[in-house]
Amino acid sequence: MHGPVAEILQFIDLTAYSITFLFVLGFIGGLVSGFIGSGGAFVLTPGMMSLGVPGTVAVASNMCHKFPKALVGAIKRFKYGQVDIKLGVIMGIFAEVGVQVGITVQRYILEKFGQAGSNLYVSFIFVMVLVIVGSYVMRDAIKTKNAIGDAPSPALAKRLQKIELWPMLTFKTANLRISMWFLVPVALATGMLAATIAVGGFIGVPGLMYIIGATSIVASATELVIAFVMGLGGTLIWAYYGTVDIRLVMIILAGSLFGVQLGAIGTTYVKEYMIKYVMATIMLIVAVSRFFAIPKYLNELHVTSFTDGSVSFMTQLSFGIMCFALLTGASIILFNLFKARGLENALATRG
Amino acid sequence: MAESVMDYAVNVADRLKYKILAAHINTLPFYHDGGKRSALFASAMQESALLFREKAKTKALDIEHIGDAGKIGKVVKRLCHSNKRIEFIVIDQGIRREEVASQSPVPVFSVNYTEAKAGQQLTTTHHKPASKGVSIMSTTSRKRHAKSCLVFGGLTAGIYAAIFANQDIVMTYFTKGGLYALLPVATVFAVSYAHGNFTSSFWSALGIEGSKTTGKQAEVRKEAEERPEIRKDVRPRAELNV
Repeated sequence: MHGPVAEILQFIDLTAYSITFLFVLGFIGGLVSGFIGSGGAFVLTPGMMSLGVPGTVAVASNMCHKFPKALVGAIKRFKYGQVDIKLGVIMGIFAEVGVQVGITVQRYILEKFGQAGSNLYVSFIFVMVLVIVGSYVMRDAIKTKNAIGDAPSPALAKRLQKIELWPMLTFKTANLRISMWFLVPVALATGMLAATIAVGGFIGVPGLMYIIGATSIVASATELVIAFVMGLGGTLIWAYYGTVDIRLVMIILAGSLFGVQLGAIGTTYVKEYMIKYVMATIMLIVAVSRFFAIPKYLNELHVTSFTDGSVSFMTQLSFGIMCFALLTGASIILFNLFKARGLENALATRG
Repeated sequence: MAESVMDYAVNVADRLKYKILAAHINTLPFYHDGGKRSALFASAMQESALLFREKAKTKALDIEHIGDAGKIGKVVKRLCHSNKRIEFIVIDQGIRREEVASQSPVPVFSVNYTEAKAGQQLTTTHHKPASKGVSIMSTTSRKRHAKSCLVFGGLTAGIYAAIFANQDIVMTYFTKGGLYALLPVATVFAVSYAHGNFTSSFWSALGIEGSKTTGKQAEVRKEAEERPEIRKDVRPRAELNV
């Protein structure tokens, strides 16, 4: 299957191993995305690169697989009445602006501090955001789990919703009314994070929950719309430069669409706090994984001097932990889905 | 309609000397399956109407059957307004009480009926709930999912075969950039349509579907909260001077 073109453009050959690997990775990533609205993408880029796919092609292909997946997930969850399309589209458009800002910042850092500095910046943001937001979400998840009855909407969101600042926007499904001035920063941050670490949802979903005041079900479902808008825009740009490897995209999609459906189904069975719980777990484990990637860049900047062996070990460990994070999230989702289903079936046959 | 619900309604109506208005509400009248669902609904309604009428006859009660379609809360509201003398509502099993109660101006009751209770009764009238219509519906929906699973599975396989059999040509054009960028984007849209429908019906055909009890929660809560506040009546009144 050696096409001359494929060799010139450095697109990899597909083997049974790489196909299976991408399919499975796609499935697990899709499962998590369908459930918490994002995620999965951060493993796919390094995953593809570990197969020998060049960085740009990996990023472009990842982006190109993300938006159809988000579309399918959003449609599925729309049928369950969880998606606020208006909120998603408005957020998505501003997130797209945020992506451009994020790229500009990245480029500036790349010029000023070189590749290693840029990588260090990315890892630093990764760890910071994930640890801070992740532990906040985790704390909240535990609090809601222990609370009796419905969790009250967060105090900050409530206060912001009361501020009447033109233009006010009303969202019917999310059941809230808030000024655009509070929506835009969340969207911009989502886009900037997406441009930096490939997963905007780690800011987008908590932002929707704690700043805008949507429930975790609506927030994670709406994040899929944001991911769709952002992904479509990004893909058009990448494809304009001809860097999308459609074969990789389709293999990952083959798996991830199975996953995203199952993840979306899962949201109808679990309690609100479960989404926060899964999200926080994944974020915190991924933060640990990125922590292990930092020594490599510090070495390149000659700040530290770890041996090559330990650096490559840590790099592998970092990828391993990332996969573990996804697997943990996926197993929590599947476990709860089938447990709740079993309960419901038992009730149905009894009553 | 579950027999336990009919029995309850008949007993209560007998005791209170009420009439029964049995409303059969089709919640998905425009479901896309060539009218199969509607036909099934009609037959299930006829079946339970017959049974209900017989039960009412033994106690010499007045019973009226009506069929309607739409969202259950809205239909209940409409009925209560057009038919002023509804005192309370007994809902069938499987209907969310909150959904009805949020719209209904009169009290709403649901009937709990477990197998364990049936065993405790002295007379072993262990009737299976009128499941005929229901079970038929669930098997046909499974069959329908399996069929669309095949159709979309074939379509997906076709797209994948077309792309991977012509890898060289595809990769040449798809990576040209510029306006050719629309090619990969169009392809993934096609894939997400075919494969998305395939995977959806795949899980449904396996019986893995969204929860029926919690799925509509967001929507229901919204409806409940959106009801306008009851404002104090400040209209001028004629006062009687004595």
